[in-house]
Amino acid sequence: MQSIPVQLSVRNVRKSFSGKAGDVRVLDDLSFHINECDFVSIIGPSGCGKTTIFNIIAGLLETDSGSLKYRGEEIESLRGRVGYMMQKDLLFPWRTVLGNVLLGLETRGVDRVEAEGKAREYLTAFGLSGFENAYPKTLSGGMRQRVALIRTLIMDPDILLLDEPFSALDYQTRLYLEGVLKEAVETYHKTVILVTHDIDEAVALSKRVVVLSGRPARVKIVHDIDISAPSPIAARSDSRFSGYFHSLCAELDIQTEKTT
Amino acid sequence: MPEAAPLPKRTTRSSRRRLSFDTAFGRALLQVAGVAAFFALWEIGVRVGWISAFLVGSPSGIFSFGTKMLLSGELLSDTWYTLFEAILGFVIGTICGSLLGLALWYSVFVARLVEPFIVAINSVPKIALAPIVVLWFGTGLVSKGALSVSLTAIVALIAAYQAAKDADVDLQSLLISMGADKHQVFFKAVVPSTLPSIIATFRINIGFGLVGAVVGEFISSQRGLGHLIYTASSLYDLNTVWVGLFTLMVMGFVLYYVIDIIERTSLPWKQSNTTHQVQV
Repeated sequence: MQSIPVQLSVRNVRKSFSGKAGDVRVLDDLSFHINECDFVSIIGPSGCGKTTIFNIIAGLLETDSGSLKYRGEEIESLRGRVGYMMQKDLLFPWRTVLGNVLLGLETRGVDRVEAEGKAREYLTAFGLSGFENAYPKTLSGGMRQRVALIRTLIMDPDILLLDEPFSALDYQTRLYLEGVLKEAVETYHKTVILVTHDIDEAVALSKRVVVLSGRPARVKIVHDIDISAPSPIAARSDSRFSGYFHSLCAELDIQTEKTT
Repeated sequence: MPEAAPLPKRTTRSSRRRLSFDTAFGRALLQVAGVAAFFALWEIGVRVGWISAFLVGSPSGIFSFGTKMLLSGELLSDTWYTLFEAILGFVIGTICGSLLGLALWYSVFVARLVEPFIVAINSVPKIALAPIVVLWFGTGLVSKGALSVSLTAIVALIAAYQAAKDADVDLQSLLISMGADKHQVFFKAVVPSTLPSIIATFRINIGFGLVGAVVGEFISSQRGLGHLIYTASSLYDLNTVWVGLFTLMVMGFVLYYVIDIIERTSLPWKQSNTTHQVQV
């Protein structure tokens, strides 16, 4: 197990925001690491700074102190090398499905013909061929999020940062997209960091789950999830699933027994 | 037990029939009928003597004056002149204003620096500038265009700047995380998201363009519909005044629909296929 090389390590990161009532410390000496081809879920109480971590990795925010190390190299951020996906699908409403998928390749200056060929390939692979010229507003929530996933994957990012990507969707669509995600991640050999509120989702998808404390966020514990199921739905019927689920609930201090 | 609200009854035939005018043809019929009734009442009022033809003119007089002016070519040349001034001012003002407003997105520092000046300029009634504009640019085409520009540019500038400020930050963040630079964020996220607001100002600004042209002609001019209206009203020639006013109305009406077509063709992603409203 120890032989898997570390891809990204976050070390002693601190970050505070100045608000009206003085400085708010969001991250306090936060450290964790992500292995190659890892699938790590980060769970924690609301407002504990999970999105802040992503913004730092993606290069949208600067740290107050601490460092990021990528494959042994000290880096500022992974701007331009991450695939960031949020709860909102953030499709550009004035672009068609194809235009949205091409967005990242365009910013990189990839040749138009080559980019379009690749985009059509991905759209077909994800069952969206025929929708190339549709505008996002005509699509369902699940389809829109699938387009967002393609837009993220097509850039061949080093790490996928998924910030509650499925939480705005209904349960069936969510289960379906979890499967799509898991399959895509395995096909394209991607590393994923997933922020979620959904403990069930975290256990079903991840290899490891990082539990954060309330603000300021520190790593409370890291759980290895040793379920190797072919799909997230199958993972849910694994005998160890409920064990992981309950211990994570306990870590988050969620009351599972009736209060007397 | 609280009483339940009565269940809606099934619509009867008579209440359904009332909606049968709600078609394109039915609406046009009602609109034409309304206009005809208005002019008929006006004409009758003048003939019977309820209202003074000297002060309000009469539809028959307007019609005979109108056809005469149309046939002599006088009306058409005045119309083209005013239309040209208005469009000239509209195009220059809207383009310059929008570009300046968008450019302010680039520097928060400059934007904050000039904001009070923009507010100050906006709060001046631009019509009050008309005498100076005539002094500076003469009594010809340029002064009317300049007046229209002064009216339209500031509207476009404020709308474009506000829309650029309001552009979705998450879309911009997404682009930055993809490695986009400031220019790419500007052209891929900010500019397209401001387009609906900028095009919405077209509707307002085409009106302001006309205001600038007509007021410019009021102050001093040898041609144009404003000139026509102004001289006719100083001679108490009300029928000619109405010819000028109705021509302006038709012009504004046509321009509005031209803008409508521009909006629909340039923003295909904004169009919805349905015109449904909540039925109450």
